[in-house]
Amino acid sequence: MNSKKIDKLVVYSYKNDFLNQNKVNKIATLLSKSDLKKYINALKLTENKKSLIISSPMNNSDLKKFEKLFPNKKIVFKKDPTLMLGMEIIDNDIVYEFTLKNSLDKILNYIEQNYD
Amino acid sequence: MTFGEDSKTQNVGLVIKNTDGVIVASGLSRAIMGEKVIFKNGGSGIILNLDEDNASIILLEEASGVKEGDSLKTTGEMLGIDVSEELLGRVIDPLGESLDGKPKIKKGKNMPLEKIAFGVVDREPVNTPLKTGIKAIDSMIPIGRGQRELIIGDRQTGKTAIVIDTIINQKNPPAGGKKPVICVYVAIGQKRSTIAQVIDRLTLEDALSYSIIVCASASDPASLQYLAPYAGMAIAEYFLGIGKDVLVVFDDLTKHAWAYRQISLVLRRPAGREAYPGDVFYLHSRLLERSVKLNKQNGGGSITALPIIETQANDISAYIPTNVISITDGQIYLQSDLFNSGIRPAINVGQSVSRVGGAAQTPTIKSVSNKLRLELAQYNSLAAFAQLGSELDLATQKQLNQGKRLTEILKQPQFAPLTENLEVLSIYAVTSGLMDDIPLESFPRFEKDIHDFAKKNYPAVLNSLSTGEKPTEQTLKQIKKMVEEFKKRFE
Repeated sequence: MNSKKIDKLVVYSYKNDFLNQNKVNKIATLLSKSDLKKYINALKLTENKKSLIISSPMNNSDLKKFEKLFPNKKIVFKKDPTLMLGMEIIDNDIVYEFTLKNSLDKILNYIEQNYD
Repeated sequence: MTFGEDSKTQNVGLVIKNTDGVIVASGLSRAIMGEKVIFKNGGSGIILNLDEDNASIILLEEASGVKEGDSLKTTGEMLGIDVSEELLGRVIDPLGESLDGKPKIKKGKNMPLEKIAFGVVDREPVNTPLKTGIKAIDSMIPIGRGQRELIIGDRQTGKTAIVIDTIINQKNPPAGGKKPVICVYVAIGQKRSTIAQVIDRLTLEDALSYSIIVCASASDPASLQYLAPYAGMAIAEYFLGIGKDVLVVFDDLTKHAWAYRQISLVLRRPAGREAYPGDVFYLHSRLLERSVKLNKQNGGGSITALPIIETQANDISAYIPTNVISITDGQIYLQSDLFNSGIRPAINVGQSVSRVGGAAQTPTIKSVSNKLRLELAQYNSLAAFAQLGSELDLATQKQLNQGKRLTEILKQPQFAPLTENLEVLSIYAVTSGLMDDIPLESFPRFEKDIHDFAKKNYPAVLNSLSTGEKPTEQTLKQIKKMVEEFKKRFE
């Protein structure tokens, strides 16, 4: 099965912008093993496109602001104390990184590469 | 102070597959062609194909570390190499990593590997000679600074020997107060043992101090072999930017085309003639177009390119040879028959040409070599004709003898480039008939001894031949006197 057909199946798997479990189960039983792999990968990519992952060491107090900024995205919050300060937002293949951990890593990397 | 790429946003992707060092990755929606990417394991690559859903990336190191599902991110940077004067005397790979055991150059200007060549307004015609120290080339196929001269021939015909001699000859201070030349030798797809020999020879001749060696050997990934000449050119452009004259040698572009063909086939680009991709001409033209002679307003520097092409069975009409012949400003054609018959350098005078170098030749050498090419061409056609019959008239016999003498004087041992004044002395001695009574087999010894004799007893004559000006009647008389005097001593 070519990628265009797989993409069509992915579109059919959604109902009102949400993944429909019944539809996915039905499609999955009809596919060969290799096509099923492609279908799952395509579903994952589509899910990534539809969701916004926010990681922060703080609690999820400002989520409403992001809901306004990204009205068509499903917002997932993850608490990550290793980030120290700030926030990391993953929007499909774009990563917005405003964390202290990232800044410190970059400073260390810079010193490592340029220190004689 | 910045710490590399933009610290706020990153464009990430996932590896879909890894085939022979070519990675197909999803995501990377903001990636651009030629952009550098970094993998999760620390490896890096460059984007060579952008499709609707994915990007194809060539890895810059061994392919085994990257597997399906690994993440990668774009850097927003095009591939570049850090260059400074500290690179002189160093051996590096196309990414600037040290290969000679010394520390990596960390402080330098980042020069992009791919760059659009200088425009017409910034350039000036080739007008300064680049001396190879090889009599046959400097007299008949002169090379100018900023020229692109192809060296083409079968394997084992002395192609690399010519460029090594040229690099060694840059040790001699150029006549007429011209700038010294910095040399960049780019080894592409060669055996490491061969490269080691070149390095050893340059070290031995004290030529490494003004040279840089960029090395992508046969055992390196095809991606590095593909990038090597661009890295060499980027290094040359750094020195051009500070007004220097640079010589870049690409040894050789046949293997470069092979590496690019390998990459293109794995990238599933449509294959054309001899399975090379459609843009194989552009591959070399965009590289060689970057060699330049800049005008005074732009610093007056130059990049001279000596690309090498290896032919199969002396076939210069194959695909890559014809491409590079048409790109360059002339070619030096080396023939295995000549090499095997003892004529070294084995230059086929009839098929070698320099389209712009004549304008850069000094009046000194021009005055003694203007008839040389014609006389040799006539000799070659007569020699072929003379093989058929035994009886020849006196004029033909004389012409044949003169041709033999010219061929003999143009022979030159390897690693022994000559200064212009000695070249002129040798050629003038034959073309003026002063060596007519010297047996051919004594020519090498006679030439060597007369050079020593002239250096010791007639330094003023040699100095007057070093000025670059046309020799005066007085100088020519002195040369005649010197040769006659030497002949009395020569046994």
